[in-house]
Amino acid sequence: MKDCIVVIAQHAHGRTDPVTYESLACAWALCGGDESRIRVMVAGDPGQAVARELAAATGFTVTAVENDGLGDYNADAYLRALGPILAGMAPGYVIMPHTCFGYDLAPALAVRLGAACITAAEAARMNGGKAVFVRTASGGKLSTEVVPETDIVVLTNQPGAWKPLDNKMGTGGTVETVRSDAGPVRSRTVGFKQPEYRGNALAESSVVVAAGRGIGTRENLALIDDIARLFPRSAVGCSRAVCDAGWLGYAHQVGMTGATVSPKLYIAIGISGAVQHVAGIRDAQTVIAINNDPAARIFARADYGIVEDLTRFIPVLIEEYNKRYGTPQEA
Amino acid sequence: MHILVCVKQVALPGASGSRINRYDEYALEEALLIKERMPGTTVHAVSVGSQRVEAVIRRAMELGADTGIQLSFEPDEEQTPYQVASLIASYARAARYDMIIAGVMAEDDLQMQTGPMIAALLDYPYASAVIAQEIRPDNTVYVERECDARQRQCVELELPCVITVQSGINRPRYPSLSNILRAKQQEILRPSVPGGNMPAARETVTRTFQPEIKPKGVFLGGTPREKAARLLGILHEKSFL
Ligand SMILES: Cc1cc2nc3c(=O)[nH]c(=O)nc-3n(C[C@H](O)[C@H](O)[C@H](O)COP(=O)(O)OP(=O)(O)OC[C@H]3O[C@@H](n4cnc5c(N)ncnc54)[C@H](O)[C@@H]3O)c2cc1C
Ligand SMILES: Nc1ncnc2c1ncn2[C@@H]1O[C@H](COP(=O)(O)O)[C@@H](O)[C@H]1O
Repeated sequence: MKDCIVVIAQHAHGRTDPVTYESLACAWALCGGDESRIRVMVAGDPGQAVARELAAATGFTVTAVENDGLGDYNADAYLRALGPILAGMAPGYVIMPHTCFGYDLAPALAVRLGAACITAAEAARMNGGKAVFVRTASGGKLSTEVVPETDIVVLTNQPGAWKPLDNKMGTGGTVETVRSDAGPVRSRTVGFKQPEYRGNALAESSVVVAAGRGIGTRENLALIDDIARLFPRSAVGCSRAVCDAGWLGYAHQVGMTGATVSPKLYIAIGISGAVQHVAGIRDAQTVIAINNDPAARIFARADYGIVEDLTRFIPVLIEEYNKRYGTPQEA
Repeated sequence: MHILVCVKQVALPGASGSRINRYDEYALEEALLIKERMPGTTVHAVSVGSQRVEAVIRRAMELGADTGIQLSFEPDEEQTPYQVASLIASYARAARYDMIIAGVMAEDDLQMQTGPMIAALLDYPYASAVIAQEIRPDNTVYVERECDARQRQCVELELPCVITVQSGINRPRYPSLSNILRAKQQEILRPSVPGGNMPAARETVTRTFQPEIKPKGVFLGGTPREKAARLLGILHEKSFL
C-alpha cells in the first residue's frame, strides 16, 4: 500500500478553521490521484464534533484523537498524543497549515518522526516521482526549491498558497476514534486573550495609507500623513516593523498578527511585502505600492507600482496635488 | 536561572555585510531582563557556524551576554534547522540550562523550526512566538503566544523549557561601554559537542531563483513628477480624489 498522507486539522471553538481545507488541497496535490491515501486527524476538544464536520464536508476518513489531557491546543500535549499514533502509521506526509498552530507543532513533530521538515510551502510539483516544494527564503528576496531526503515529510502549507479543497469525494466520510495515552504533559493552555485596542479606524476606512520600515525614521511619518490627508476618509496603517520600532502603536499594524483590512484603496509605502503583512490585505481592492526596490515582493500584490525613493517622491506628489487641487483642507 | 540564547548571523541580499538576526536581539534582551529581575542568573549566547559567526557572538556579549559559545559547523552555507538544533541540543543537554530562548524565525531562511526542534530533541516543553513571559516561583513559566488575528494564547510551561520570541516583546538595549570592552577581550568558548556526529540534512535546496515579481497591474514610468501626475490621474479616475 502507498504511504498515507495525514492532514492535521486546525480548529477553534468547535469549528474547523478554513485554512485546514487549504492543507487538504495540498494533500490532494500530493496524493497522485489516489485520494484514498488521504487521512484527516483531529486532536483536542471537541474532537468528535470537528471530525464529523470535516468528514461530512470532505468525504475523507477522519480520525478523532482523544485523550484526557487534550483540551485547547498546546504543543507538548499534541506532540505526546499524536506522535506515537503517527509513528505507527508511517505516513508519507503529515501536513498542517503554517499558522501559530502549525509552525509551533510541525518542527517538533518532524523530530519525533525522524522526518524532513518543510515549512511555509507555497507550491508542490512532482519531478520523476519525487515531490519538489517551493518556499521563500533569503529574507523574502529569493525562492527556493526543496526536496525531502527522508521517507516521512512534515509539511506546513503557507496560508493562501493553495485554493481550499471542496468536497472531492462527493459523499460523507467516516469518523473513527482513537484513544491515546500521552502520559504527563508539562505545559497547558490556560486561556486566550485579545489585547485591547482603542477604536478600529483601520477596519472601517475606505482608504488605508500604510508605512513600512522603508520610511527610515519616525519623522518621515509626516510624509505618510501628507498622503493620508489627501483623502476624505482614510487611516494610517503600518507593518509590524514600524510598531516594533515604536514609531506607531500596534493598533496600526496590518497583517497576520495585526489587523485584517479590506479598504477600497491600500497604499503601501516602504513595505517589502512579507507574507505575514500581505495576509492582512487579501481583500483590499486597489493596491498601490511605493518602494525603491523593483524586486520587492509587495509589487506582486500591487495594481500600480512606483519604484522611487519615498522621501523624494512623496513631496513631489504633494506638490503636484496642490497644483491641481490647491492645498488640502486641514481635517 | 541558567539561560541559553540562540543567535544567528544573517546576511541578507542587498544589505552590506551581515548582522545579528533581529528576532535574536529580542531573545537576548528577554534573557537580560530576566537576569535583572533574578540575581544570579547567567546568560550564555550560542551560535552555530564557521569562524564567521564569531562576530555575532561578540555582538551578543557586547549587548550583555556573560559568555559566548561557538559550535563549529563547516561548511556552514546550507545548514538545515534540524542540523543546527541537533548541535545546540547535544551541547545544551550536558550544560543543563533552565531555559533556552531562540528567535521565532531567522530573517534569512524564514524557517521557524530551530527552537521547537531543540525542545523536541531535549524532550522539553516549549512555546513559539512568545510576546510576554513571566517566570513563577513554582518553577513554571507563564507565556503569551501571539496567534493569528491578534489573539494571544496563554500557556504555562514547566522548566526547563524552550521559548522562541516574537519581535516587539521588548525594546532591545544598546551595548554599554563596559560590555563592549569586555566582549573584545573575553574568549569565546568552543566546546566539543558530546555525541558529536552531525546528522545528515533531511531536506536539500535544489534550486534558488529570483521569483518573477510582476505587479498585478503596472509599474508607472517616467520622471518622479510624471509618475506623480499619472498616480493622481489614476486616483481621480477611480474617484478616490
Ligand atoms: C509570526 C510572525 C508574524 C508576523 N506578523 C506580521 C504582521 O501581522 N504584519 C507585518 O507587517 N509583519 C508581520 N511580521 C513581520 C514580517 O515578517 C516582516 O518582517 C515585516 O512585515 C517587514 O516590515 P517592512 O516591510 O516594513 O520592513 P522591511 O522588510 O525591512 O522592508 C522595508 C522596505 O522598504 C523599502 N525601502 C527602504 N528605503 C526606502 C525608501 N527610501 N523609499 C522607498 N522604499 C524604501 C525596502 O526596499 C524594503 O522593501 C510577522 C513575522 C512573524 C515571524
Ligand atoms: N546557526 C544558528 N546558530 C544559532 N542559533 C540559530 C542558528 N540558526 C537558527 N538559530 C536560532 O533559531 C531561530 C529560528 O531560526 P529558523 O528556524 O532558521 O527560522 C533563530 O532566531 C535563532 O535563535
